[in-house]
Amino acid sequence: MVSNISHYLNRFKACLKIDQTIRDGVVEELYTHLEDKRQELEEKGLSREEASKIAVQSLGSPELIAQQIYETHAQGSWKEALFSALPHFLVALLFTSYYWQNIIYVSIIVALTVSIAIYGWQRGKPVWLFPWLGYYLMPVVITGILLLSLPQGWGWIAALIYIPLALFVFIHIVRQTARRDWLYASLMLAPILVTLSWFSSLGTGNEFLTDSALWASLQTNALWIVISFIALAGATIAFIRLKPRRYKIISLLIPPLVISLSVIATSRGSIHPWGWLILLFSLFAFATPVWMQARAQG
Amino acid sequence: MNYGRELLKGNTDSLLLYLISREPTYGYQIVKELEKRSNGYFQFKEGTLYPALHRLERDNLITGKWQILPNGQQRRYYYITTKGQQALAARLATWQDFSTAVKAVMQAETI
Repeated sequence: MVSNISHYLNRFKACLKIDQTIRDGVVEELYTHLEDKRQELEEKGLSREEASKIAVQSLGSPELIAQQIYETHAQGSWKEALFSALPHFLVALLFTSYYWQNIIYVSIIVALTVSIAIYGWQRGKPVWLFPWLGYYLMPVVITGILLLSLPQGWGWIAALIYIPLALFVFIHIVRQTARRDWLYASLMLAPILVTLSWFSSLGTGNEFLTDSALWASLQTNALWIVISFIALAGATIAFIRLKPRRYKIISLLIPPLVISLSVIATSRGSIHPWGWLILLFSLFAFATPVWMQARAQG
Repeated sequence: MNYGRELLKGNTDSLLLYLISREPTYGYQIVKELEKRSNGYFQFKEGTLYPALHRLERDNLITGKWQILPNGQQRRYYYITTKGQQALAARLATWQDFSTAVKAVMQAETI
């Protein structure tokens, strides 16, 4: 039989979506408190069961304590907020003054992203890691898409081998991240949604994914691309700095969806069928953590 | 709205800082001490203490350290920091000024 104290701590743990090491510490602290109280009440003559029941009642609602502790730990510093938004600013910079045509600048950004993502993953996955991780995953997704544009059926063969592997890596990382908190998975997937929205809307008709069409469209839309990534950076800063969870959810989910829908709306129906497929994939991926959370709660 | 509860809520951080400044202590002991020193006046849901302690720790006013007791049980003791001592001194001064001002006003009204 699960004791009152274990049941209480399990409810508390289920609600507290913070870094696991901090969470374990708080749970241990509450456990010690409950045990102290229980022992004191038992010394006064109460049965173990009665003492446990009163101990958990005197501590109050586990959901309320979890929410208050979440709000204490959920607000990142300005330093964390700016560092989380940095990859979005770097991408925005990439499209300012046509730096995306400069292979040295692009290589520096790619090397920086990979190094920071690996460093953060090995250092306990701090909150600033997740936007970097989103860009780290981007080549995995985009390579699969580009394989489809290979000529004469080769694309299908390459894609059939590559896509299952890429999906396995992608799903594994999303699941690992969402297990800690689904909001972090959405934070990670937001740049993928925005990038793929642009990616799918820039190619037109039969020229989808061909160099000339893509380069010309990038040049024409550079300003809007910059604005969309700066908006994403702003949303990321708001997400890190806000305390209440509901505001975090709003700041995280609404801007990428608005950007994505705006990109689709301004493409004026010129999106290629492959583009729609990519868009559906990115929207589905972005919605997956929300769905996982709803399923876990249901 | 319970006025007493609101007053306690507004002064919880100062009370905690004061108790921790006297000697390093832990959550359950703080609850007992608050109850004892206030002759049972300060009674609240004990769980609300922990978010307050974590808030003070986040603001570097106190610091928590795990200690292993002889029976193998772990306890998190809280220590006041230099910043916490400065904050407490400022709050005590403000509280004394406020309390003196309230008393002066109330006495003038009731006499």
